[in-house]
Amino acid sequence: MKALSIAIKDLQIFFKDRGSAINLILLPLLFVTVMSGALGAIGANQEQDTRTPLPVVDLDGGEMAQALLAGIDRAGGVLVAATPQAEATAALAAGDIPFVLTIPQGFTADVNGGQPTVLRFLTRSGGNAAQAEAVRLVVEGVARDMSLQIQLLAALEQMGQMQAGSPGASDAFSTERMQAQALSQFQSAATQPLVAVVQKLPGQELEEEADEAEGMSLADAAVPGVAVLFVFMTAQNTARSIFDEKRTGSFRRLLAAPVSKAALLIGKMLPNFITGLIQLAVIFAFGVFGLRLLGLAPITLGKSPFAILLVAVVLSVCSSAFGILIAALARTPSQIGGLSTLLLYLLGLLGGAFVPLFLLERFLGPLPKIVPHYWANHALTNLMVRGLGLADVALDLAVLLGFTVLFFAIGLWRFDFD
Amino acid sequence: MSAILEVEHLVKKFGDHLAVKGISFAVEEGEVFGLLGPNGAGKTTTISMLTGILQPTEGTARIGGHDIRTDLEAVKKLNGLVPQDLALYPTLSARANLQFFGQIYGLRGTDLKERVEDVLRIVALTDRAHEAVERYSGGMKRRVNIAAGLIHNPRLLFLDEPTVGVDPQSRNAIFESVLRLNRERGMTIIYTSHYMEEVELLCNRVAVIDQGEIIALDTIKNLIAMLGGGVIKVGVPQVDEALLAQMSALPGVKEATLLPQPIAPPPAAGQAVEQKEGKPLTATPVVKVMAQNSQDAIISVINFLNQRDLQLTSLEILEPNLESVFLHLTGKKLRE
Repeated sequence: MKALSIAIKDLQIFFKDRGSAINLILLPLLFVTVMSGALGAIGANQEQDTRTPLPVVDLDGGEMAQALLAGIDRAGGVLVAATPQAEATAALAAGDIPFVLTIPQGFTADVNGGQPTVLRFLTRSGGNAAQAEAVRLVVEGVARDMSLQIQLLAALEQMGQMQAGSPGASDAFSTERMQAQALSQFQSAATQPLVAVVQKLPGQELEEEADEAEGMSLADAAVPGVAVLFVFMTAQNTARSIFDEKRTGSFRRLLAAPVSKAALLIGKMLPNFITGLIQLAVIFAFGVFGLRLLGLAPITLGKSPFAILLVAVVLSVCSSAFGILIAALARTPSQIGGLSTLLLYLLGLLGGAFVPLFLLERFLGPLPKIVPHYWANHALTNLMVRGLGLADVALDLAVLLGFTVLFFAIGLWRFDFD
Repeated sequence: MSAILEVEHLVKKFGDHLAVKGISFAVEEGEVFGLLGPNGAGKTTTISMLTGILQPTEGTARIGGHDIRTDLEAVKKLNGLVPQDLALYPTLSARANLQFFGQIYGLRGTDLKERVEDVLRIVALTDRAHEAVERYSGGMKRRVNIAAGLIHNPRLLFLDEPTVGVDPQSRNAIFESVLRLNRERGMTIIYTSHYMEEVELLCNRVAVIDQGEIIALDTIKNLIAMLGGGVIKVGVPQVDEALLAQMSALPGVKEATLLPQPIAPPPAAGQAVEQKEGKPLTATPVVKVMAQNSQDAIISVINFLNQRDLQLTSLEILEPNLESVFLHLTGKKLRE
């Protein structure tokens, strides 16, 4: 109850300070608007720049191999780069390229003859699994379409030959029969494709990350990233509030009152937690409704609102614990203001606040994983953009909780109650 | 009367620095007790230990029978603290500040409302209670600061330098409030200050504290009586043990001792080397003469010096009060 009284008092003070309220509530909306617009524009205008190079060893060189490569090029996102076999093998072994697609000898003949054939997609151990899987899915999609087209054409050709041989059996080629045959071919192409893709050394998180590259627009990345950045910014308020209480002496007064140190700290953390939840609610509501009103692509909240709520709660708790850590370590107002702002923006940058995570990881590899922002952003992106469920973000939540415990433990250890 | 506060050999160390050196004293219920000492003497550290803000390094204290080491929760409910700083939330109104501090002491609903209005009346701020504290004058802020310490109607109120930076009018209002709380409500008050006039006005008994030690503890009357007829500081060109003995034997003189002199580079004899508080600080010796009767003592000292052709380089007569008591006990002024 006393913790609640402290929290309510702090919230009163916070909302009387219009600058802070604008900084933490309105500024993120501005970020979301600008980033959604700007990143959306980049996504629309500079598509070629983001294509992933796909080294291809074409051992067939036939008409069907060319058709396949043209299809992959047309699919977007992947840039076909014909590469001699020896060169590709060496580059893959040296780690210069992450993967290579090999079209086997006799590919054209097999396809034309209706014989199943296999494309080999070799990936480098320890490479970027998400990127490899995204490319594999593109190749697989083109191969599936190609299989379907060939099988349909073959079936129709076969039916034409049958009709030519039996002029009296015209009802055997009625519209219904033709449609049934086409449907059967569709199903067959889906389950038993003529051209299959086999991947060697598959990485982890395949399905999830492939969806990211395929389904996620750059604008989609803005909302979770900005939300996480600004929820962590709230940590500064906790630290500043504690610093101000110590400076004015009210902290001494609270210590002299019958309030436990735990209640005191919880009371100081609660406003951070509540503000974080308010921020997330406002930012997500703006992402869904506000962006639409502004003529920008809105975000979706995915299929699991409960999981989003859970992430929001854990994220806000983590930010609150971070506030205690800053309060414990900072000794001057400038350390709370300038230095921690710099630190928080740096952590936000690493955690994907300004650049979508899947792009960031291309440049930085696993480095972003060292900051809590990454895990919160990753969880929200999985839930909101890819429509995954609670089980899929369990690891993210666990890591965020781990960061929370770590921040709180260090904060408590270093906190100067005297 | 029984003791509401009993302090036993209380020690506080900050690293190697001994801030409070084993002090012991007791305060009776209903008393206004003064802790008098210069800045840095250990007054606030002592109060911090008694109010549970700091853990004592050694020793303990009992407040209302509850030990501060083992029953701090009960102790905190009995204590009220008015810290030296303006420990308030400036953007909130006086009423909101008091409501918050009341809630912290477990007050709710009607009790809380009544207590808030009561303390606002005590500090005469009911009319402006809705205004943000940041709009108040320094004196009004001090009054809200006191009101916040009274919100839960404590039995023992610690007032730590409550008049620092306050205009004379507000200072008088604070004195009146303190005296009313003590007389009308029987509240025990521990009043710390380095202004001896305040302590003389408000307190029944005083502990003089310096460098973490209590160097005197008595009623103000008894402390001042220690000095007899006051203190005379006499500057002379040179002094030795024989001269001090002769001066001590003069009519009206109780005792003559050499005052410790500040360390300074050797100047020409009798030459002023530095200005401090408008008085020349000389490198020549100063004899502290404790008088039985100040008038007799001054006459006999001046005659004595004239007879020996000793030039008087300075003369300062200190009235018998707590300031001169402190000077007598420590050799330095309270506000040095």
